Amino acid sequence: MSMLDLVRVEFKLVYGDLFRRKSAFITFILYPYIFTSFTLFIGYAVGSPRGFVERVGVDPVVYMITASYMLMSIFSSIDDLLWRPLLDLHIGTLPYIIASPVNRLKYYTAIPIPRLVAVLLLGFTSILPVYILYYGLEGVAVVFVVISILIVGCLTMVFFSIALAMSIHRVGESWRMLNIVRPVLMILMGVYYPRMFMPLASYILSSFIPSSHAVEAVQRFLMGMSSDIYILIVLAIAISFIYMPIGKISIREWEKSRVRRGVETF
Amino acid sequence: MGLAIEAVNLVKRYRTKKRLGLFKSVTEVVEALKGVSFSVRYGEVVGLLGPNGAGKTTTIKILATLLIPDGGEARVAGYDVVEEADKVRKNIGLMLTVEKGFYGKLTGRENLEYFAALYGMDRDVARERIDYLIKLLELDKLGADTKLYEEFSLGMKARLSLARALLTDAPILLLDEPTLGLDPPSARKIRELVKDLAHRDGKAVLYTTHNMFEAELVCDRIIMINKGRIVAEGTPAELKERIPKLKVLNIAVRGNQGNLKDILNSIDSKFEVDSGEADVHNIKVYLKKPEEVLDELLKKFIGRGFEVVSIKIEEPTLEDVFIYFSGGST
Ligand SMILES: Nc1ncnc2c1ncn2[C@@H]1O[C@H](COP(=O)(O)OP(=O)(O)OP(=O)(O)O)[C@@H](O)[C@H]1O
Ligand SMILES: [Mg+2]
Repeated sequence: MSMLDLVRVEFKLVYGDLFRRKSAFITFILYPYIFTSFTLFIGYAVGSPRGFVERVGVDPVVYMITASYMLMSIFSSIDDLLWRPLLDLHIGTLPYIIASPVNRLKYYTAIPIPRLVAVLLLGFTSILPVYILYYGLEGVAVVFVVISILIVGCLTMVFFSIALAMSIHRVGESWRMLNIVRPVLMILMGVYYPRMFMPLASYILSSFIPSSHAVEAVQRFLMGMSSDIYILIVLAIAISFIYMPIGKISIREWEKSRVRRGVETF
Repeated sequence: MGLAIEAVNLVKRYRTKKRLGLFKSVTEVVEALKGVSFSVRYGEVVGLLGPNGAGKTTTIKILATLLIPDGGEARVAGYDVVEEADKVRKNIGLMLTVEKGFYGKLTGRENLEYFAALYGMDRDVARERIDYLIKLLELDKLGADTKLYEEFSLGMKARLSLARALLTDAPILLLDEPTLGLDPPSARKIRELVKDLAHRDGKAVLYTTHNMFEAELVCDRIIMINKGRIVAEGTPAELKERIPKLKVLNIAVRGNQGNLKDILNSIDSKFEVDSGEADVHNIKVYLKKPEEVLDELLKKFIGRGFEVVSIKIEEPTLEDVFIYFSGGST
């Protein structure tokens, strides 16, 4: 059974969802802008853009649209994995998946890839126009660097998300847990609150999240501190592989717990 | 070739927590299977026939590796359903519910492609097989290959569900109430197909239903199950031979419960008493010729001070057949 086939059918599934539901498609495009305007609105209300530039070294508009874009990219692929088992349970596909001989790690790894591609393409509608406005044509090159780093950021989250999702779904009413875990992850990932400025405890905690290093790499790049970027990327990849065996085990344990109770067919 | 399915003494207890207050809860145990044993050979359709809550779905789930039994063991295609689940999964086609189990934003064909990938089918093989199944189940005539699943009628959903069970051409099919809620043409289509699959292609089919009429039409052998126990087993002809000879005499009487047993024990037949409100007892007696004892029975009731509220003689319903085979209750 090839991984390629799994990715191919996942593509159809995600694109079916995205393109056959107009409202989903429109929010998908608008989301980074909505988030950016919201944070800028609050930011301008409490402080001055100049203060932000002095402290962070990047224009707040550029910083925030990048942050929203990063958050959306990383989270939409994580979300696929976090919510998928609940969706499958709800629509009744779960028993057929569990009763199939598919290689579980391959299957769950294939799930976030299509949305990841969609989201990265979103870079051209979200950060590209803003970058061009601020950096001129050089902005195009900046976009490609940011997207490349983000690809690493998203991919390194796959095993982590599998491990996280499957551990959470062993608990009953796991969607409640998800609603707590997601915001915590958002903060620790450092998209809005740069890791460089975090207190030590959260800095250490956040370093266990693979993509947080990629996020930091993007931020450093925008600030013009390009020297440490490679180390951060290598770090993100290295940490992500720690989660591969953990992910594998947590899928197995999650399935076991489901089968012990009986996979629901209601 | 060995047996396709072999279940030995399967036991399953469901535990559910019932909340009483913030900290108090009690665990309720439902014994869904109380020692079920049966087997299915290749080339035959075996019906698991029973009313709601009999344990049909529970049995199917255990055989499909979706539920671990608390006792007993089961082999499917020669493999243990718990220890060798992976191998079992490669040998079964599964249909659990007619109305669910696909992705709404995909068409019928795309859904089948999705599961083909999950079942590890080669892309070209899958495409050919899906073409074949779409024709076989007449999904194309209904437009179900190009329509989104969320727009499907129940009949289309059921056909697609059966198509998925047939995707890998697995030798063993586990079908849980595959015609539930379907109109006669769709139900007939599925029944005929299932028979062909067993008799022509040599597949082993376990087919659950609560419909006596349907079991008779499809199954080579019927296993009757009630409250987690097998109550009767045989070919439809064998079972029918025992059933139609019986009729059900329904009598409702009002009076003192104490005398009831004596009267009923005096007739040599199975009976069931359901005591309702206001001293009214609904009595069912299973008899070959109720007419012969009716007069005598009524005299006895009246003689002991009972008031007869109603009398009815009925052909047995499926429920009656079960109660009869379950040994009646007193
Ligand atoms: N997940 C569960 N938790 C608790 N009890 C359950 C569960 N699943 C089934 N049961 C109980 O086990 C018994 C057998 O259920 P099962 O679903 O096997 O019956 P069935 O023969 O398929 O009935 P139906 O015709 O209604 O589908 C029932 O009493 C049911 O309430
Ligand atoms: Mg059932």
